[in-house]
Amino acid sequence: MLTDLVERVRALVFGRRWSRDLSDEMRFHVDQDVAARVRAGADPATARREALLAFGGVERFQEETRDSTGVRPLQDLTADVRFALRSLRRNPGFTATATGVLAIAIGATAAVFCVVHAVLLADLPYPHPDRLVRIYNQNSPTNIWSLSVVDVQALREDHRSFDTFGALRFASFALSGAGEPEQLRGARVSSGFFSGLGVHAEFGRLTSPSDEASGAPPVVVVTDDFARSHFGTAPGAVGKTLNLDGVPSSIVGVLPRGVDDLAGFRSPVWASLKLPIPTRRGPFGYVGIARLKPGVTPAEAGQELRALAGRVFTQWQASFQDQNARYSAFELQRTIIGDSDRQLTLFAGAVVLVLLVAIANVATLMLVRGTARAHELAVRATLGASRPRLARLVIAECLVLTAGATVAGLGLAALAVRGIGSIAPDLPRADAIAVDLPTILVAIGVGIGAGLLISISPVAGVLRGSLAEWKSDARRSGGTREAHTIRGILVAAEFALAVPLLLAAALLGSSFLRLQEVDPGYNPDRGFSIALNLPASRYPDSLSVVAFWRNAMTRVTETPGVLAAGLTTSPPPDNGGDVNNFNLLAHPVANGRAEPVAPWPIVSPGFFKALDLSLLEGRLITDADTGATSPVIVVSRSWANHYFPNEPVIGQRLISGGCTTCPADVVVGVVGDVKYEGLAGSGEGVYTPFVLNGVIRNATLIVRTSASPESFMKPVTEALRGLDPQIPLAATPLRRGLRQALADPGRWTSILGAFAVTALGLSAIGIFGLMSYVVRRQRREIGVRLALGAEPRRIAGMIVGRGMRYVAAGTLVGLGLALLEARWIGALLYGVAPRDPTIILSVTVLLVGAALVACLLPGIRAARIRPLEAIAAD
Amino acid sequence: MADLLPGTLEVLVLKALSLEPMHGWGIGHRIDQLSKDVFNVRQGSLYPALQRMLRKGWIRSEWRTSEAGRRARYYLLTAAGKKQLQAETAVWQRASAAIDGILRLRMAD
Repeated sequence: MLTDLVERVRALVFGRRWSRDLSDEMRFHVDQDVAARVRAGADPATARREALLAFGGVERFQEETRDSTGVRPLQDLTADVRFALRSLRRNPGFTATATGVLAIAIGATAAVFCVVHAVLLADLPYPHPDRLVRIYNQNSPTNIWSLSVVDVQALREDHRSFDTFGALRFASFALSGAGEPEQLRGARVSSGFFSGLGVHAEFGRLTSPSDEASGAPPVVVVTDDFARSHFGTAPGAVGKTLNLDGVPSSIVGVLPRGVDDLAGFRSPVWASLKLPIPTRRGPFGYVGIARLKPGVTPAEAGQELRALAGRVFTQWQASFQDQNARYSAFELQRTIIGDSDRQLTLFAGAVVLVLLVAIANVATLMLVRGTARAHELAVRATLGASRPRLARLVIAECLVLTAGATVAGLGLAALAVRGIGSIAPDLPRADAIAVDLPTILVAIGVGIGAGLLISISPVAGVLRGSLAEWKSDARRSGGTREAHTIRGILVAAEFALAVPLLLAAALLGSSFLRLQEVDPGYNPDRGFSIALNLPASRYPDSLSVVAFWRNAMTRVTETPGVLAAGLTTSPPPDNGGDVNNFNLLAHPVANGRAEPVAPWPIVSPGFFKALDLSLLEGRLITDADTGATSPVIVVSRSWANHYFPNEPVIGQRLISGGCTTCPADVVVGVVGDVKYEGLAGSGEGVYTPFVLNGVIRNATLIVRTSASPESFMKPVTEALRGLDPQIPLAATPLRRGLRQALADPGRWTSILGAFAVTALGLSAIGIFGLMSYVVRRQRREIGVRLALGAEPRRIAGMIVGRGMRYVAAGTLVGLGLALLEARWIGALLYGVAPRDPTIILSVTVLLVGAALVACLLPGIRAARIRPLEAIAAD
Repeated sequence: MADLLPGTLEVLVLKALSLEPMHGWGIGHRIDQLSKDVFNVRQGSLYPALQRMLRKGWIRSEWRTSEAGRRARYYLLTAAGKKQLQAETAVWQRASAAIDGILRLRMAD
């Protein structure tokens, strides 16, 4: 077995030397035989003749011996590949173009597949990921929200469908004690969170239920990355103490290297979660993750959860009246992917279109070249090459071409994927993305598929065309009628595929432009913000907290150049979904229906001036609004128009947060809109005063400056540092927040735009190549026409007209495809209708214009043909 | 002169090589000698057979200098080849004894 393999490999690898050795050996044999016969008395000439006769044909036995090595098929393959390489090398222009086009298409396909696979298709990196669910509150098919302390406690204590249940709460930690104070975005988690996911500690231990008791010393688990950057080594971090929010917390464990996010939440520090004693059903904000028992479906778990929600509802009815609210279990995978899938599906679709256009393009090139090669094939056939053999040569050539393109494409994909972190920082699990084995296999599969597709029509030509036809093809114009039709269809198909791509890119682009023009409601060039978090350890009661905010406001407003300053719990333009539910006393929602929600910033009186919001009606919130018996709210214009289109809004009352025992809020003023739900959001908002909302330790300070904000950030930061040197302070110009809100749609648009431009370029090249070929082929005929008095302009018109027929057919089909796509893409657009006639028209004009230019060049060349030369040639 | 029975060439080669390592011509010559020119072996057909036997691991080859001072490929019997020869010899002897017996019976008739 082994010797067999060794012999085969030797014959294969040292093919040329092996053959030489064999003929040496046989020559030696014959010479030896001759010598023996001469010794026996024969004359040398007769001896040689007899020796050769006795041997029985050197050539024949060399072939037979070669067959016995068992590597014949492989040797044939290498011969084919060698032939293909030679043939491709003879046409460097064609080879470079085709390889480049295919490399870009295969590379883009591989890169998009890689991302889609890593984000959408790959399982979560936990054991039995299909059993992991996230639990939400849900009161309608579309309205889901997170859990409260009450919910977490109920789910933790009363579950039969789960193996484990764990909870998480986002936290912002002020890390101090070592150098510059640092603000960490992290999470507090219960031990069930770790055990449910099935993660383990690389060093030390994870948190345990005993750490969650109210008196237990605070402990944290950190990532390997955090441990290395703060303590040098991962094992060395265990046992060390971190000062988080002024509370010394000991590190009990370090997560394995590379585990930077758990269940889609990224955090360097995972503190043990201690639940406060609930006084009402809300507030919400806890993430519940459960591992279902084997064999239990999320729907079955939902049944049990429904009953549990009913019991919780009865117990806490006083502070929460939404009887429809139920616990629902959603597959964790789905909740992590979120809305990335629509965008990624869009890209997957786009890249497939680009790939198809590229294949059609190269197939056209191949056909044009194929006709030119008909002569060569005809010669080979005359010399005795069988048709299957010729077909094999053609296929080998296509496959060699796509193999090169696949390798180059994978290189491009690796580059693109490495940059994915900067292209799409918010993509879930972006760090897990790399060109992996499935991606390589897919690229190879795509390459082979492309190679076979490209070879279909030349192979069909080889197998079916007659020898005579090939020869005449080579000499006369146009090629076979059939080949011509195929070329036309391929070029039309390129246009048909390019239309939906261009339209999608144009729609996204124009949606992006509209988004840029959106007025966020404030001047982003004249202000900055600082997120402030007061640790409970040093600000234990409302007295110390209120004192800090008051002193801070005084110090900041006294800083030269500061025009106004205010605090808000919900910084625009994207507050991350900080909304509250409410019920209008004038128009209460029907029993059993979900209450409406709106962004609900809690603000200090200075806030309105800090953002320079104009007062439209009534009055603003002032320092005097401390009356808890009749709390006041200020609403935005959009909110007022939405809920009170035909009534005065001032004086209207509402119940907020489902608290029926609380006094109703009274609308006292209307201000201009500010975008809180992203730039595409509505501009609705309800402002409630800082002083009436208990102890607020986390808020964003917004400072309005007389000029560009950068020069004022340092004095303001220093003024605050004088108040408390331990609080982390990072000032951000308001315009940066706005830029971030635009960054994602901008990136998506440019990627799709690049795909669309590629497709447009390929289509134009396709029609240009085809028409140039037609002109070259019909040179003589055109020459005759010109000689007979045809106007050059008409000749050009004829060529352009013929080319535009394909373009028109392709574009029409493409528009049909685009209309199908339109409904689907609508959800990704802002301020643009998916069938916006202007955009459809512009895309068509652009495409047809590009095609016109591409046809005009060969047309002009046709018109300039010199009749005599053309006729005389050949 | 008779044609070779299928499969016999390999046994003859193994037998020839069991005496000493030889090059291709030597093997052919030796078979002619041993068989007293009974079998008509096309010398060239030795080489495909040798290639097959190399693959089966019965023989191995190495390049040496021949008596005449030329570079020649010599074939050597391997341990597997020796075993194969013994097995084949046993089969042949049993078979030829049986055939011999049958033919003798016919003669007696």
